[in-house]
Amino acid sequence: MIVLKYLFNALIFPGALFTILAGFLLSGLDRKVIARMQRRIGPPLAQPVYDFFKLAGKENIVPAAANVTAYKLAPVLSFVSLAFIMVFIPIFSFSAFSSKADLIVILYLITIPGVALIIGGSASGSPYGAIGISREMVTMMSYELPFVLVLLAVAKKAGGDQLVFSLKEIGEWQAVNGSMLLHWSMIPAALAMLLVIPAEVGTQPFDVAEAETEICEGPLCEYSGAPLAVFKLSTCMKMFIMTGLFTAMFLGGIRTGFAGTDAILFVLICCVVTILCITTIHAITARLRIQHLFQFYWTYVTLLALVSLVLVWFGL
Amino acid sequence: MFENLIKKSAMKSPWLFHINAGSCNGCDIEIVAVTTTLYDAERFGFKLVGSPRHADIVVVSGPVTMQSKERLIRTLAQVPEPKCVVSIGSCPQSGNVFKGSYAIDGPLEKYVHVDVAVAGCAPKPQAIMEGLYEAAQILEEKREMIRKAKKGVKGSGVIEVPAAAGTAQVSAAAAPASTAAPESTEAAPEAFAAAEPAAAAAVESTEKEVASK
Ligand code: SF4
Repeated sequence: MIVLKYLFNALIFPGALFTILAGFLLSGLDRKVIARMQRRIGPPLAQPVYDFFKLAGKENIVPAAANVTAYKLAPVLSFVSLAFIMVFIPIFSFSAFSSKADLIVILYLITIPGVALIIGGSASGSPYGAIGISREMVTMMSYELPFVLVLLAVAKKAGGDQLVFSLKEIGEWQAVNGSMLLHWSMIPAALAMLLVIPAEVGTQPFDVAEAETEICEGPLCEYSGAPLAVFKLSTCMKMFIMTGLFTAMFLGGIRTGFAGTDAILFVLICCVVTILCITTIHAITARLRIQHLFQFYWTYVTLLALVSLVLVWFGL
Repeated sequence: MFENLIKKSAMKSPWLFHINAGSCNGCDIEIVAVTTTLYDAERFGFKLVGSPRHADIVVVSGPVTMQSKERLIRTLAQVPEPKCVVSIGSCPQSGNVFKGSYAIDGPLEKYVHVDVAVAGCAPKPQAIMEGLYEAAQILEEKREMIRKAKKGVKGSGVIEVPAAAGTAQVSAAAAPASTAAPESTEAAPEAFAAAEPAAAAAVESTEKEVASK
């Protein structure tokens, strides 16, 4: 019975299927809203779904220079790790699986899609892929530092004396003491997290690794057909997971009492966060150079996260 | 299971890859104009992509110069099936103002079957949009053909490149500003195309192996 329950959690709700659907919604909304911001009509809301199924129906060319096993397994690795992260993120009062160290598990799992991209890019044997993966590595290094600091600040705030890495306990703490965002000392950390999300997802100003106009989408350059579809799907899922993590960490105090309404509210808040940190930043900025991205994250964003951490450490 | 959805998606999300085969840049600017705010090709799902491996529709502009010829053939071979080729402007059809030059080796039909040809010098964005939209419909037909061919000759490993019902012509009538287009030369490449697709297809499939190495 318990096995069935976990299987259901991993495959349907809140695992793979739910994440995919919500990811498609967020991604479609992102493209629609950015079009409206540029005074265009924009693609239909279901455009990511069309893109995914079109790619799935296309021919899959494996380059002769590629390492076939790694080339084909990289997208699967990316998908599986993302499908499992959502199990650890509580949807307000509903939490499918809770351990003592949710945040640490998530921190590890969320780097796997980036690593999968690096594996896939290097396995494709393309020089564009080589440039792309070196940029992807630098990007990962840049946002990991502020990301870890934000997680530490949240863990310290919820724990008081010791660090609490369980998202369920963090949620319960917020239900009692009000959402993290209502505590002024956490606002810099929330801002830092909002700036980490677009880099993690890989959207406009921070998409140096997949710059299609410079390096032909870098690691994805040689991918076609179904593996490309899975990579594009991973991006959509990442969008939902990162905004979901933000919601769970900073807005977790909201309770409606029912799992169904909770889930709907959760997705709605994720939509708002997506528009705030992904779409708006995308619409008003141009792509950064890799050294500027590194500088930006290790100075401003790290500083924001650090301010919160220090304030929390002094008990504010 | 998802057959219907894939079928519907095939024409709803055509991604474009643009090859400049020696164009004077006039057509390229118009292609970019199609994706801008005013014409907004994204509402039909069109998107310019950076790699030929991601493309569904290959947009070719320019008269095919000697320098670009080899790159053109290799790039076309890298595009996964089903794919469509759309030629933009009068240059790929006839050579236009460059006709007779020692530096060009056109028309485009010599190398690949052109599904939609948009005439004009340069064609208006509206005309380009209509051509691209037509290509998206052809894309769906081609997918169906490939699927049937695969079912029919299982295991032979050879997919015949299906030629669509004939090169569709988007007339320059939608673009009155571009009457400079040499209409009379349009018939010649038409005849060319009828004779060549088999040869072009052969070149393509051999090039696919070469390119992937
Ligand atoms: S058709 Fe005209 S505008 Fe287009 S590339 Fe040729 S000469 Fe330039």
